[in-house]
Amino acid sequence: MTTTGSKLLIGATVMAVVAAVVYGVIVGGALGTIGLSSAAMGLALLAGVNVYTRDADVSSMDTQAVMAAPAAAAAPGNSMWPIGAAVGGVLLVVGFVTYPVMVVFGVVVLLAATVEWTVQAWSERASGDATFNASLRGRMAHPLEFPVLGAIGLGVVIYSFSRIMLFLSQAGGPAAFATIAALILLVGFVVAFRPTVRSGAVAGVATIALVGLVAGGVAAALEGERELHPHETTGDLGREGQCDTGEETEADENASQTVGAKANLLADIVLHEDGRLEADALGLPGGAGQLVVARNNPTNVRFVNASGEERRLVLDLGTRPAVDENGDVIEDEEVPDQRCTALANEDGNQLLNFTVTEPSASGGPYAFVVPGVDGARVEVVVP
Amino acid sequence: MVREMSAGPSRRRLAGALTALGGVTLLAACAEDAPQDTWQPAGENAQRIQDLQWWVFAIAGAVGLIVFATIAWVSVRYRDRGQPIPRQTHGRPALEIGLTVLPALILVGVAIPTIGTLMDLSRTSDTECVVNVTGQQWWWEVDYPPQEGCGGFSEPIVTSGQMVIPTGTKVLVRGTSRDVIHSWWIPRLNGKRDMVPGRVQTVRLQADRPGIYAGQCTEFCGLSHANMRMEVVALDPADFETWKANQLADYTAPMEGSLAAAGEQVFISQCATCHQVDGLVNADGVPIIAQPQERVFAGAAPNLTNLTTRNTFAGATWDLLTPTCRDDVWNASPEEFGAAYLAGVSADCLNEVDLREWLRNAPAKKPMYADPEQLGPTDGLNRGMPYLALSEAQIDQIIAYLLERQ
Repeated sequence: MTTTGSKLLIGATVMAVVAAVVYGVIVGGALGTIGLSSAAMGLALLAGVNVYTRDADVSSMDTQAVMAAPAAAAAPGNSMWPIGAAVGGVLLVVGFVTYPVMVVFGVVVLLAATVEWTVQAWSERASGDATFNASLRGRMAHPLEFPVLGAIGLGVVIYSFSRIMLFLSQAGGPAAFATIAALILLVGFVVAFRPTVRSGAVAGVATIALVGLVAGGVAAALEGERELHPHETTGDLGREGQCDTGEETEADENASQTVGAKANLLADIVLHEDGRLEADALGLPGGAGQLVVARNNPTNVRFVNASGEERRLVLDLGTRPAVDENGDVIEDEEVPDQRCTALANEDGNQLLNFTVTEPSASGGPYAFVVPGVDGARVEVVVP
Repeated sequence: MVREMSAGPSRRRLAGALTALGGVTLLAACAEDAPQDTWQPAGENAQRIQDLQWWVFAIAGAVGLIVFATIAWVSVRYRDRGQPIPRQTHGRPALEIGLTVLPALILVGVAIPTIGTLMDLSRTSDTECVVNVTGQQWWWEVDYPPQEGCGGFSEPIVTSGQMVIPTGTKVLVRGTSRDVIHSWWIPRLNGKRDMVPGRVQTVRLQADRPGIYAGQCTEFCGLSHANMRMEVVALDPADFETWKANQLADYTAPMEGSLAAAGEQVFISQCATCHQVDGLVNADGVPIIAQPQERVFAGAAPNLTNLTTRNTFAGATWDLLTPTCRDDVWNASPEEFGAAYLAGVSADCLNEVDLREWLRNAPAKKPMYADPEQLGPTDGLNRGMPYLALSEAQIDQIIAYLLERQ
């Protein structure tokens, strides 16, 4: 029997002889020819020793020994991992000049291919028993492969679900997933009550469902998300100078009418039934027409609506320069600078959080007002 | 024999060391200059805490002594002398129930007056005067909102480092913070209270006698936490009215051509971006409004309108007065204290050494995040006062200008 190692040495000897001849004839350098001839002799010696001591120690008549000899072991099968490593390498290189995310993918693929290739190559040479080698590979690789593949599979399913849900309309989403849930229930019912259903059929249905889910996810991802409507807030009203509106806005819908942040409050701003607006500050009870607020400090006040009608509290900070869609200041154009609460129901409370950056002496006068209620005003002093 | 001979000196050394440690600890309690001593209450609120903690401490001490004495007695009495192991028993219901009920009763006995004291100390309904404090790295801003209390305030007053209050008045401190959590504590007047951004916390204060009551931030708040101090200055009501009038006095511009006038220009160019001086105007007569939010992470810097009516600067870390003049104020009798404090800082009494060092290079004197290369997390804004590269001549001019801020 001739082992792979012996074959390698014999081949290398032949190559060295050929190289020595070619070099000697074409180049004609004595030193190179001597060197290559010496290499050929050395390799030939090693090949001879290898064949004699390792390959030839099994009698061809001893069939069991011949079968157990390493030379009798089946040659390793073809491996796909070099292709995987090549793909990873290409992604890595291309990523350097295109998108950084490709570099990450390239590194991951290259690492995975290298590890798998190494484990495969090692396990296939572990013994002459291919079955044992396969189990050895499993013991090495499965603890790594199963969690990673499970996570990837789960990620694909979740991502597909999310793409489909974001693609479907607000009404279509619940309908589609209610239908899918009903189908899953139906299949489960059939499998439970028909034990004779073949496992292959169940696996086939599950595979079709999974492929359909992933295909749907890919299609939905390519199609893009539906248009999502950002909910308007009272902050938007202030930015747009719309705090004075007397109508209910989207920001007012479903607004809670209670304030739980009692310990955070600097003052209650109370609108009385007769239209008076007063500040009931911590430690200064009794209602005042003035409230002092620290500069550059986030401040919370509670609007208490005791007027019997829906009202909102507005902090009027004068005007500020208008800005365009890009945030650039529009010259010679001012807009109201306001902060406001959501509409407070009768006997409802609303919270207002604000920060004033300019003292009232330069940016003021500032005041809390209530649109629609003449004379309802609390002066805000910012030292 | 050898063992016994070596154990003797060893025990004596240990006993000597313990005695020395106990003696030093005991003597430390005799320190005369201890302005932040919680055992020397100077007002109604601190007295409530004192009244509670004395007998709670006595009970806790008695329990501790009994426990330690019992452990010591058992350790000696039943130490291993080679005797046989005694018979093991299990379960003594009367003893176990007794040792459960007795501590529970003690805790209930402590809890009832503790809760009563806590409720008293958190009451706001009897407030006679409101003062706001706002913490930021590493100083306290103090402002007085318009109110009828404290003899009446027609307009707000903003100051820093020292809070001035009238004696015998129930003051409610409303506190918050602009950046991180700080804690406000004047040990001789009340307990401590964390000042949290976005929240308004309250502390009751009342000082019985005129004087200065020192305090310290007690919540770690960054590099110069240990240098974040504060003082409450209690003046009798008449002196308090004088102090208010001083704070609300119109701005007095320096005499033309004087050193202080040059200092005013340096102040405008170097300091007024962050520090407000009420009444200061530019060359066109337009009031100068500081914009600290453009330079400082907290968005605020001390108002220097009446700097030299105070006795401290840089977060009350250093005295504006020389040690001699400081002692004159701190040690003044209650009758003389008001006049001593209201005299402010004169040229003779100015602690020029520390003030110059501060103006020369503030971050070198008080640790602050002022390295321009390390301001990434704050978008380039300083925490504290930066290095301004002032010349010695400019420092002379600024000091002359600030001395007139009375």
